[in-house]
Amino acid sequence: MAQVRIEHIFKRFGGVTAVNDFDLVVEDGEFVSILGPSGCGKTTTLRMVAGFERATEGEIYIGEQCVSSSVKNKFVPPEKRDIGMVFQSYAVWPHMTVLDNVGYPLKIQKVAKEERIKRVKEMLALVHLDEYAERYPHQLSGGQQQRVALARALVARPGLLLLDEPLSNLDAKLRESMRFEILALQKELGITVVYVTHDQGEAMAMSDRIVVMSRGVVQQIGAPHDIYSNPANKMVADFIGLVNFLPGSITDGRVHIAGMATSLPNNSTLSGDVTIAVRPENITLSAENGTMQGVLTHRFYLGDAVDYRVQVGNEAVRVIVKGADLGTFKDGETVYLDFDRIMIFDKE
Amino acid sequence: MGLISRINSKLIVILISVLLLVYFVVFPMGVLVFDSVYQQGHFNFNNYKVVYSTIVNWRALTNTVELSLMVMVASVIVTFPLAWLVGRTDLPGKKTFRTLLVASYMIPPYVGAIAWVQLLNPSVGYLNQILKWAFSLQQAPFNIYTFGGLAWVLTLFYSPFAFITISRAMEKMDPTLEEAARVSGASPLKTLIDVTLPLMAPSILAGGLLVFIAAGSCFGIPAIVGMPGNIEVMTTRIVTYIYMGDDKGIRDATALAASLMILANSLLFFMTWMLGRKDYTTISGKSTRPNMVELGKWKWPAFIGVGLYATIAVIIPLFSILVTSLLKSMSKPVGFDNLSFESWIPVLTSAQYMESIWNSVLYAVIAATVGTILSVFIAYLSVKTSVRGRSLPDLLTIIGGSTPSIVIALALVITFSGNYGLNLYSTMWILIVSYLVKYMTMSVRTIAASLSQVHISLEEAALNSGASWIRTCKDIILPLIAPSVIAGWFLIFMPSFYELTMSLLLYSGDTKTIGVLLYELQTYADTQNASVLSVIILGIVLLGNIILNKVSKGNVGI
Repeated sequence: MAQVRIEHIFKRFGGVTAVNDFDLVVEDGEFVSILGPSGCGKTTTLRMVAGFERATEGEIYIGEQCVSSSVKNKFVPPEKRDIGMVFQSYAVWPHMTVLDNVGYPLKIQKVAKEERIKRVKEMLALVHLDEYAERYPHQLSGGQQQRVALARALVARPGLLLLDEPLSNLDAKLRESMRFEILALQKELGITVVYVTHDQGEAMAMSDRIVVMSRGVVQQIGAPHDIYSNPANKMVADFIGLVNFLPGSITDGRVHIAGMATSLPNNSTLSGDVTIAVRPENITLSAENGTMQGVLTHRFYLGDAVDYRVQVGNEAVRVIVKGADLGTFKDGETVYLDFDRIMIFDKE
Repeated sequence: MGLISRINSKLIVILISVLLLVYFVVFPMGVLVFDSVYQQGHFNFNNYKVVYSTIVNWRALTNTVELSLMVMVASVIVTFPLAWLVGRTDLPGKKTFRTLLVASYMIPPYVGAIAWVQLLNPSVGYLNQILKWAFSLQQAPFNIYTFGGLAWVLTLFYSPFAFITISRAMEKMDPTLEEAARVSGASPLKTLIDVTLPLMAPSILAGGLLVFIAAGSCFGIPAIVGMPGNIEVMTTRIVTYIYMGDDKGIRDATALAASLMILANSLLFFMTWMLGRKDYTTISGKSTRPNMVELGKWKWPAFIGVGLYATIAVIIPLFSILVTSLLKSMSKPVGFDNLSFESWIPVLTSAQYMESIWNSVLYAVIAATVGTILSVFIAYLSVKTSVRGRSLPDLLTIIGGSTPSIVIALALVITFSGNYGLNLYSTMWILIVSYLVKYMTMSVRTIAASLSQVHISLEEAALNSGASWIRTCKDIILPLIAPSVIAGWFLIFMPSFYELTMSLLLYSGDTKTIGVLLYELQTYADTQNASVLSVIILGIVLLGNIILNKVSKGNVGI
């Protein structure tokens, strides 16, 4: 197993900087997700670790081995990096059986046939495909093909597993169950994982730490809970979970929010005009009293919750109440809001 | 009422196009095959026995197969690395090379043959003379009038079929399939052997078969390069027999043509079946990024290699024709003092030449216009409706396109010279029908591809707004597919304009086309006028291609 050190890497395509000063140490056995909207540079970063792209600047270490360095002019090709990788498109070879697909890395390593088949069978058992060894990929479902890809990536016991949006071609139910399967497999093998995704739910559920990226720049690195409750900036707050942004200001060490009768304590170092962020589930709704008065405009029934829109001055505030009853409030009714756990950001 | 009239107008259009195609495609070919096995009142294969017991004919058959195989293998061997270099690496000048490598596709094959005769003819070939001078040789190093020479010219002119098929497959292949092999520990070479080649195998074979069929069906190149060296192939034998003009000649030609047709079409269906097998389809994820292989130190050697090939395949022959057309005196050496437009004047002022050019333009315009209208309906039928047998007309045009020109021409001669009612012989209409049968499929393909991009809901919205089906076609569908319709028009116009093989069998005194005239000039050894005419043809084809490229935004070209 291996620690991965990515030291200040840059990737430029012509005049465009796709990855800008990415710096991260993934500890041995850790599961780290790189999360961000499409085009944020997360896949490019992963491909630099894999060896499919060459970093314009910076160094990458996998275990003790320096695999890429702009100063030492060093570049180790993908086949010499001791990694396993799973692609979004599965990339299962259609002209080989499941057995041959999964056995291919061992064949390259010239593992004797008997030993090879034994290890492939073990691996297939781990991904619950023991019955399918002789099948061809076109005889398998998408989920099964992705398990083949996973088995192939792990069969040679690499130090590092890279996953590039492996679940995004699967349907919602399967995606959910595959999350836990991948996680269970990772814990069992103790392998280091770098996982790229644009799905925050996936990243939250699976990762030890999450790296949030946007426009080539790392916005925040932290544990899922950390990132959710203490987002470093507006971008992260907006990208992870739901959030209301409201204009506010800080004077005399107190936070004033437009439309709010009282002020709140300032837990930031900012002053002057600011943006206040509050998550819809951290707002309580009441018919009688609260610090902010508004008019209920819309209600959406979500099954386990009700999603309300409350007009406060010029702002539409979204409030989600778990286990609420659609009939508790009516459209057009005057309601009162109370904010819990506000986040304070720069105005811009 | 609206629904009924809609169904009716659709049905009528379908019926008319099917009937036309059956009458002009299926029926003549049926007559050809029937005639070849039905002799003196009963069915028998005596005709074939007689024909193939003649040593010349048997030689022609084996020559055709051997030659086509050689050309096929050579084309694949040359094309695969070219397609890979142009499609998957950081080779400098890739775009220009791609254009050059498919350029011989738009040069009429017989013009290419004329060029190579000028270059490698043993007595006065330019290249031979240069090589003789450079290496002080006693004898010319190359003789174009040989089996090897024939294979050489055929390979240069038909390898673009393989190039296009193989490079398309390369572009369509999910590059992560190769990347998966790399992370599994395979070197780039091992990846090529274990993953790329096996996955490409069906396309490589398909490209090869296309070359095989094209080389075997070609008449122009063997006629100009093979015949002077007494190398006969099926197509040249068929023409020789037809030119005999008597019953026996036609009978022998019929048997040869039927064999050639069956060979070509069965190969084509085998190929379609092979490519259609589902085993090789895989789910492909997000728009697969083109992962370009860095050539590193091989960059410039590869550039020189590809450049050399493009120069030999395209630039040298075109240059040779241009120079010959400008020579003042054919007997003097090439030099600036020996170049002028003098020899162009008699050609441009000759009534005979101008009439042929005019004929070719006129017939090609009529064929293209009629063909495009039919193509729109056939493509619509095949892509947009769910009528039973909707792809039958499409299939019939494909059969027409895949049948060797010589076979089409003979079938039309037999069928439409009055024996079965309609007599088109020695009119311009028989030429136009032959162009339609042969080239409509290209236009149908292009229009169908564009139609399949027009979502059915656009059409339904128009019908919902109260427009009739015909009105919907005119107001909604046609404007959306207009570029592909114009492209389709040129795809019929251009090959019809310079067509040789069918025209040679179907023309009469009044309907001589530019291809026929050029062929005559070449066989009468009037090299200079042949070159002038070739340059004119190339100019018109080039102009057509530029328009085609503009209209289709680079998506379609010959």
